[in-house]
Amino acid sequence: MDIEDPSFWRAGAISTTLVMLIVLAFLSIDSMRVISVGGANVPKYDVINHRIGYEFDWSRNASVPVIGGPEPLFGKAVTEAEATALMESGKLVIQSRACMDCHTIFGNGAYYAPDLTKAWLDPAWQQIWMPMTGKATREDAMVEFLMHPDKYPTWTRAMPNLQLTEDEARATVAYLKWLSAIDTNGFPANFGPSGQQP
Amino acid sequence: MYRSQKLSLRYYTAAIALFGVMNLFGLLSALYYLYPSLLFNVFNFNMSKIMHIDTLVIWLLMGFLGAVYWYLPKELGREVEGMWLAELVFWVFCAAVAVVAVVFLFVQYGGANQFSLWFINQGRKYVEAPRWAALGIVVVMLVFAYNVVATCIKARRMTGIMWVLVLDLIPLLAVYLDAFPATTNMSVDLYWWWWLVHMWVESTWEVLIGCVMALVLMDVVGTSRRIVEAWLYIEVMLVLGAGILGLGHHYFWIGTPQYWLSVGGFFSALEPLPLLGMVVHAIYDAGSHGMKTNNQPAFYWITAEAFGNFIGAGIWGFMMTLPQINLFSHGTQWTVSHGHFAFYGAYVCGVIAVLYVAKQQVSGVDVLTGRAWKWGFGLLNFGMIGMVMALLMAGMAQAFFERAIGGSTLMAFTSASENPWFKSGMYARMFFGVVFVSGYVVLVYDLLTAPKRVPAAQAQPVAA
Amino acid sequence: MTPAALLETASLMGLFALAGGGYGGLYSIGRLWTRPGLIQAGGACWIAAFVIALTIAVRTPLDVGWKLLILASALVYAVIPPVTWRYLERLHDQQESNQ
Ligand code: HEM
Ligand code: HEM
Repeated sequence: MDIEDPSFWRAGAISTTLVMLIVLAFLSIDSMRVISVGGANVPKYDVINHRIGYEFDWSRNASVPVIGGPEPLFGKAVTEAEATALMESGKLVIQSRACMDCHTIFGNGAYYAPDLTKAWLDPAWQQIWMPMTGKATREDAMVEFLMHPDKYPTWTRAMPNLQLTEDEARATVAYLKWLSAIDTNGFPANFGPSGQQP
Repeated sequence: MYRSQKLSLRYYTAAIALFGVMNLFGLLSALYYLYPSLLFNVFNFNMSKIMHIDTLVIWLLMGFLGAVYWYLPKELGREVEGMWLAELVFWVFCAAVAVVAVVFLFVQYGGANQFSLWFINQGRKYVEAPRWAALGIVVVMLVFAYNVVATCIKARRMTGIMWVLVLDLIPLLAVYLDAFPATTNMSVDLYWWWWLVHMWVESTWEVLIGCVMALVLMDVVGTSRRIVEAWLYIEVMLVLGAGILGLGHHYFWIGTPQYWLSVGGFFSALEPLPLLGMVVHAIYDAGSHGMKTNNQPAFYWITAEAFGNFIGAGIWGFMMTLPQINLFSHGTQWTVSHGHFAFYGAYVCGVIAVLYVAKQQVSGVDVLTGRAWKWGFGLLNFGMIGMVMALLMAGMAQAFFERAIGGSTLMAFTSASENPWFKSGMYARMFFGVVFVSGYVVLVYDLLTAPKRVPAAQAQPVAA
Repeated sequence: MTPAALLETASLMGLFALAGGGYGGLYSIGRLWTRPGLIQAGGACWIAAFVIALTIAVRTPLDVGWKLLILASALVYAVIPPVTWRYLERLHDQQESNQ
């Protein structure tokens, strides 16, 4: 072993890199299993037919989503295919309007506006926007807000109007509901009244 | 001067111009925090921020391309193969950047359909450019890879540095393919998106800048090739050894399995160690040549790179990389603080060093020194340090009030943003941003003015 | 983790790495200019890093695994600068004797 010889370190660099890449490949295969739709951490799209909560779980020492009984979105249960179509279009809204260049999702994106991971569960819908928009349900208030956010500002930093059509807004709401049911290892912590660590 | 070095100068010019565009949109983005009604519904924060971070990626890439086109013929002792193609592609690249900028400025966004993704905006951070432009970048990189590989083959010669560079280009290009998919499932989307972002900034770019710095060191302080190469291999081993699985620190909260908390925390806690080695190495190299260099600015900027990389990536990253802390610091201005410091320390300083290497050769002076560059150096560093300290303060306040106490709801976000610690941080960031930009102006002035001629015999002691 | 512990822990982590870096920097500059004073100041930085690591171990709510990792890396910090330096010297000496 001659540590002055560059070829010694070259061998080291190549083998270290290969080992790390192989480990990464195995971990990625396993992760894909867990995070594909219907995997252990990511529910099927038709989870939007159910009530979703976020509660502190002592055994995991983290808040976890809790899927409850039926609570169909917009009062009408959807099939798995319908749910998938909604999600596809909701995701395209999020990309085409560059939502994540103001907001974060799972904490990734930009920091000008609040995190959307659990936006569906945000108490502000009941407390602020349902009265403001005059809508009777959370999802209707969300649709109204997303279509005309500049009409319902809550403070100096308001959301601009991104010209969402009604269908686009409904798909986005569906997407946000599904998003809130993903198990994110407890991020965000202490979310709202339901996620508080007792 | 080789033809490829002329191309390199064009890349440098484009890079430094886009650096300016990036700074302007950085200032504008910061201004929204102070005046939220600014350009409301006309040109919103998200578009300004897209301009800021997309030009960042492009100008650094252009700087790297320029550096390689600069050193390639020197390394291999012959002109680069396929120069006509490379020259053509440069103009295509610039035109594409201009078109995308116009679309971002005036069209901004489209409906929820594939057309928008192909021609307007992909809405994925750092790679928002529409798909046609992303394809263009792939073509540019392919031509670049062809130039490098064909020249090596024609020269029938490979140096160790060239091997590292060529091999590094493969993953660098491969992960860029991540810029295209629009996966419906956000967890899967972000999983692969991080391969792109992390594998660029904490792996392949680190290696690329390692190669460039090795070449600059041989040039500026005359370190011998054997030493530089041995060191480069060690660096690659350590950086990739910790960096590849350090990817895990982005997999804490995106829906991925729990083991990533341990994997990511462990490997990213190791990441500062090689960076410390680089600091020692930089100081050693400075000294082994009696602290003499004939390119003072380049020398200072490489040294700043070594320190900046350690502090910005090493310290700022380490501070928030353990999952128990990251749960609260994640996705706040704290992240922004680290992002700025790390990018600046690791890459901006390196690219500026390369610009000064080129300046010396172009102006044909034996010794490059002067006064203006010191002002540029001082203002840029001071501005950046001030900015990241301000952001750290705001970020800590945000982690404390919004994430830890408030639980990240809309109300928590709002009230944390109204907190005096947060607000004064935003004002301070703006102030230091202006300082930074004034440093940029001096830098450009200094790069463009002809240097004073100093007789060769008086190589400058570094500490002058 | 409580909000106050969060900021305290993160700051200690930052200071830990900073002290490690201070040690590496001062040690190397001290060797370069053969100034024992600077090398000692570097040593003091390392001691500070170690004390911070201990503080993290005792005072913060981090999991045991992370505490051990930090203590271990404090020990690794101790050897990086001298080992790197000696290695670079060997490389250079060998280079010169070859010429
Ligand atoms: C004039 C100086 C600058 C100002 C005022 C500025 C301002 C900003 C602002 C306001 C953001 C958006 C953060 C958010 O979402 O809240 C941002 C993001 C970013 N900037 Fe700058 N910037 C400046 C210079 C730079 C430089 C020199 C670099 C690279 C070295 C840089 C790299 C980045 C990166 C990587 C991001 C995305 C980071 C993240 O979101 O975590 N900026 N900047
Ligand atoms: C040159 C090296 C590096 C660069 C350029 C860099 C840049 C960045 C950027 C721009 C981000 C923000 C990404 C985003 O959300 O858009 C980020 C995040 C992060 N970086 Fe680095 N980084 C570097 C090295 C490191 C190192 C060495 C560590 C660990 C010791 C680290 C730890 C982290 C962590 C934990 C995050 C996630 C922050 C969050 O949770 O929001 N980085 N980095």
